[in-house]
Amino acid sequence: MSLVEDLERLEQTAHERIESATTAEQLEAARVALLGRKGQLTDMMHMMGSLSPEERPAVGKRANELRRLIEGMIERSSQSLAEVARQNLISREAVDISLPGVRPVIGHQHLISSILEEIEDIFCGMGYTVEYGRHVETTYYNFTALNAPEDHPSRSARDTFYVVDNAVGTADHAEAHARGESDILLRTQTSGQQVHALENEKPPIYMISPGTVYRPDTPDACHLPQFNQVEGLVVDEGITFGDLKGTLDTFIRAMFGEDRKTRYRPHFFPFTEPSCEVDVSCNVCHGKGCSFCKHSGWIEILGCGMVDPNVLEMSGVDSEKYTGFAFGIGAERVAALRYDLPDLRALMTGDMRFLAQF
Amino acid sequence: MRVSYKWLKTMVDVPEEPRDLVAELIRTGTEVEAVDTVGQAFDHVVTGKVLTKDPHPDSDHMWVTTVDVGAANTDAEGNPQPLQIVCGAQNFNAGDHIVVAMVGAELPGGIKIKKAKLRGIESRGMNCSARELGLSGDHSGIMILPEDAPVGMPFARYADLSDSVLDCEITPNRPDCLSMIGMAREVGAILDEDLHVDLPAIKQEQGAPASDVVEVEIADEGLCDRYVMRVVRNVKVGPSPQWMVERLAAAGVRSINNVVDITNYVMMLTGQPLHAFDMAAFDMADDGKRRVVVRAAHAGEKFTTLDGQERVLAEGMGLITDSGRPVALAGVMGGLNSEIEDDSTDVLIESACFAAGRTSHTSRDLDLISEASLRFERQVDVEGCVDVANITAALIEELAGGEVAPGYVEVYPNPFEPAKITLRLARVDALIGAAIDPAFTRTALARLGCGVEDAAPGELLVTQPSFRPDLTREIDLIEEILRLWGMGRVEATIPAARNHVGGLTPDQRLERKIGQILRACGLNETTTYGFAAPGDLEKIGMSEEGKGLPVKLMRPLVAEQSEMRRTLLPGLLTSVDYNEDHGNGNIQLYEMGRLFFGRPNKSQPKERMSVAAVLAGAWGDSTCNQKYRPLRFFDGKGIVEELLAQLRVEKVRFRPCDPEKYRFLQPGRAAEVLAGGTLLGWVGEVHPSAREAFGIKLPVTAFELDVDALKRAARPQGAYHGFSPYPPVEVDLAIVVDEDVTCETLEQRLRSAGGKLLSDVRLFDVYRDDERVGAGKKSMAFALTYRAEDHTLTSSEVEKVHQRLITKVCKAVGGTVRS
Repeated sequence: MSLVEDLERLEQTAHERIESATTAEQLEAARVALLGRKGQLTDMMHMMGSLSPEERPAVGKRANELRRLIEGMIERSSQSLAEVARQNLISREAVDISLPGVRPVIGHQHLISSILEEIEDIFCGMGYTVEYGRHVETTYYNFTALNAPEDHPSRSARDTFYVVDNAVGTADHAEAHARGESDILLRTQTSGQQVHALENEKPPIYMISPGTVYRPDTPDACHLPQFNQVEGLVVDEGITFGDLKGTLDTFIRAMFGEDRKTRYRPHFFPFTEPSCEVDVSCNVCHGKGCSFCKHSGWIEILGCGMVDPNVLEMSGVDSEKYTGFAFGIGAERVAALRYDLPDLRALMTGDMRFLAQF
Repeated sequence: MRVSYKWLKTMVDVPEEPRDLVAELIRTGTEVEAVDTVGQAFDHVVTGKVLTKDPHPDSDHMWVTTVDVGAANTDAEGNPQPLQIVCGAQNFNAGDHIVVAMVGAELPGGIKIKKAKLRGIESRGMNCSARELGLSGDHSGIMILPEDAPVGMPFARYADLSDSVLDCEITPNRPDCLSMIGMAREVGAILDEDLHVDLPAIKQEQGAPASDVVEVEIADEGLCDRYVMRVVRNVKVGPSPQWMVERLAAAGVRSINNVVDITNYVMMLTGQPLHAFDMAAFDMADDGKRRVVVRAAHAGEKFTTLDGQERVLAEGMGLITDSGRPVALAGVMGGLNSEIEDDSTDVLIESACFAAGRTSHTSRDLDLISEASLRFERQVDVEGCVDVANITAALIEELAGGEVAPGYVEVYPNPFEPAKITLRLARVDALIGAAIDPAFTRTALARLGCGVEDAAPGELLVTQPSFRPDLTREIDLIEEILRLWGMGRVEATIPAARNHVGGLTPDQRLERKIGQILRACGLNETTTYGFAAPGDLEKIGMSEEGKGLPVKLMRPLVAEQSEMRRTLLPGLLTSVDYNEDHGNGNIQLYEMGRLFFGRPNKSQPKERMSVAAVLAGAWGDSTCNQKYRPLRFFDGKGIVEELLAQLRVEKVRFRPCDPEKYRFLQPGRAAEVLAGGTLLGWVGEVHPSAREAFGIKLPVTAFELDVDALKRAARPQGAYHGFSPYPPVEVDLAIVVDEDVTCETLEQRLRSAGGKLLSDVRLFDVYRDDERVGAGKKSMAFALTYRAEDHTLTSSEVEKVHQRLITKVCKAVGGTVRS
């Protein structure tokens, strides 16, 4: 048999082997068998030496052509096998994308703390500082320095949690102790922080004081013995009632929406004068009157007023030179209004279903 | 304060519709909680006019009329439709104005008006007589109204029979508004209207003067600022006239008898509480006089008030006595022993000004709040006492036939000195932030009862009215001007805040960051009560060491909340229990809150911020692509590690807890968390007996860290450092060591032995097998990464370092390499 015939047969064999290869491994085996160091074509090339010099160029050319041909065939086959493999992989990996995703677990912020942060951010944006203050206060900071009369009912043990005073000599106040009162209490309002600010800082003062306050109210849908307030205080030269309005209008619109209107109703607080309560237009009926706003079109949202000169003077601030305003907002009230909470007690249970809603 | 609109109308001109006044009251600071309609409503009874009057075809005395009732009856298109009414009265003619009860009306006698046929003729209503309307006994015919009476107006309004009562909330600074005159004055100031108040006057004084009959003494000056008494003799106690009964009813006061009603009526009118004593109840002295003494009660003294209750008094409570026994609790309530009875004839009228503070204490301490005490505790008009006594005497004279004794008896040790206030008009504008017309200021203050005089240019001299204890300073007047002028009219401005910088402090930002990290770690923030139960530390087995004394509430709401908390854990365990009970099996909570550590001999406790978390169940229930994996110690520890890493706390260490000190944690699954030598807190699994004390079934992993310590240990972001561009060489190494060799020790040894070239150490397996590894031993498999900063490591280089590391570490920990 001539070498030329062998080459022809090899081409035929190559076609068959390469085409029958269905995996990359089979194809590689075919390549080794055909073109490898001990492959069939290599063998034949080695046999070239036995040919006559006349035959050699033609046979050599043919062999080289065949090598290129086989290499081309392998390359094409390799690509198509790769493509098939990729297609297989893709169809194997297809999933029902309606299955649930693998969600990372991220915790939720408590509703009240997120409201407090929101309020802090609004006032920080207006140039305020934030001060937290103590929860266990003295009667001086909670009442006296805020102009509350000595015999004001809010000072009684009915409205204030007093705590046992550990200081030496306090047993002398046996009469007050019998009434459940001492000089030390759980603050009933964050307003006392006003006094600390007035004592510790020099005007200009622009500050808010968010935090927990306590009152002896048995928990029910609308009351908690522990709740949160944000007190605000501004003392500077030339502060007017108009400034109070502008500041609170800005805050209320940031908090409740740009379309909300405000109403300032004169009221009475011992530590501000003039004092007022601020209403925001009802978001349910937009001021027309509905059951949510008790048919008034307005919802009471906070109390405020110009700082009473007595309060400034008691803390050593010149009330002729400086004027100011103060305000107090209840965080639970904001929460109840914004999210229509039916029962404030849900804020304290730590119920995972409740927490995950906000 | 319940304000009768009809009564108010007699004193000041008010808008036709009560709601228009309500809006003005709210605008100026009087909250109106409700507007009640009282009196006879006379639904479906309207004024009408007879259009035609024809004889009834089947009756010799009845008439068929058509009556115009205007818009009160309309057809389908809304056009007024006269009513056909069959009527038996004879006293009227076509064109007369009358009162018509339409279908649906119910008259006082219980007659219900329905559509009817009278002898075959349809009748749609009834033309009413005065008796049918319950207004008088006149049944001579139907009521004929004047010719100018409107047609189709509700009869109750036409005859002014119904009344609206405004339920006003009066702020504590406005005692004057707890009276009709005060409300009228307020309304006059709001609407800029004059008052027309007609007060009764004594017609004739007769008999012996009051000073011959009574003597008054104030034995405790702190109890009473002024005491005035008048005497009225030969009073006929009986029912009050209807108008007074109605006005009292509108004010919410029940009628008793004319004398008592008059004192209540005058109180509602003037705001001055009065008391009428039966003079016979007072002991007569030898000189024939009655002595009235205001004194303080002795501790434990007993007294029976009008309501029949015997009260035990505390020392210092105010009493009125007849020199011997008490007859009234000063300013709060009269006594049963001196009450006006049907047979009382001679009456002593007390018009006094009891001290606000003492009265308030007495009434609140006795839990006895009366209309009188409410007024005294807000302060009554000390200058008004005599006038009010006179009005009262005049009414008793007029309505109970009393004979008023000449003069009055009084004790008034320190007469009232009104404040004289200089009001700077420029200050008014500067504080309000608006230009207020001085003319407005003058009128407004004058209408409120102030004396207003011109002083220096730009200033007014304002005299305080005695009924306004709240007006003593310039700012008090500015408040009045602002509220009457209108808060809504002031332009809203924002202060410039010059020379002031705001924003959160670094500490505050760090506190927020702690919360953010914990939420990113999957924990939900919660809040629990700051209160704690006594012995709650003992209950879970937590040491009191370093937690100070408990802060104790003097009057807690409930025993389980009688102290302030010293750890966050019990509150969070309560929440775990709550969740478990409500079917939430996967619980991840954290709280950042205050702890209170009481100090001996110090009034106020130390307050510290703490952050704590509880983990129970798993991150989620099993799903097709996530397996349920219970949260245990390492999940809690991992969160603590992540938190500390994010805060860049250095030299973090976990040290096994001493089981004696941490009895609330499960031994072997509990660690103290340290930064260098500073204890930050603990992390561990809650001891089964501790969680059982809370009724919790699931294992709970928890941690609690001191926020202040965390903030101090946190470090700021450091400078950038680069990464090696050269390839790493990874080598695995398993070392067999004794059980008591900790991972921390091994890792430290590996790192120090590996030197600079060892860039990472990662434990990837712990293997125990008595046969293959040996009893009491474990195999710790680490992946070590070698990498140089400045060149590619050669294998011989790595080999050298690695061998040295093995030798050193094995020697140090007594381990062997597991091949």
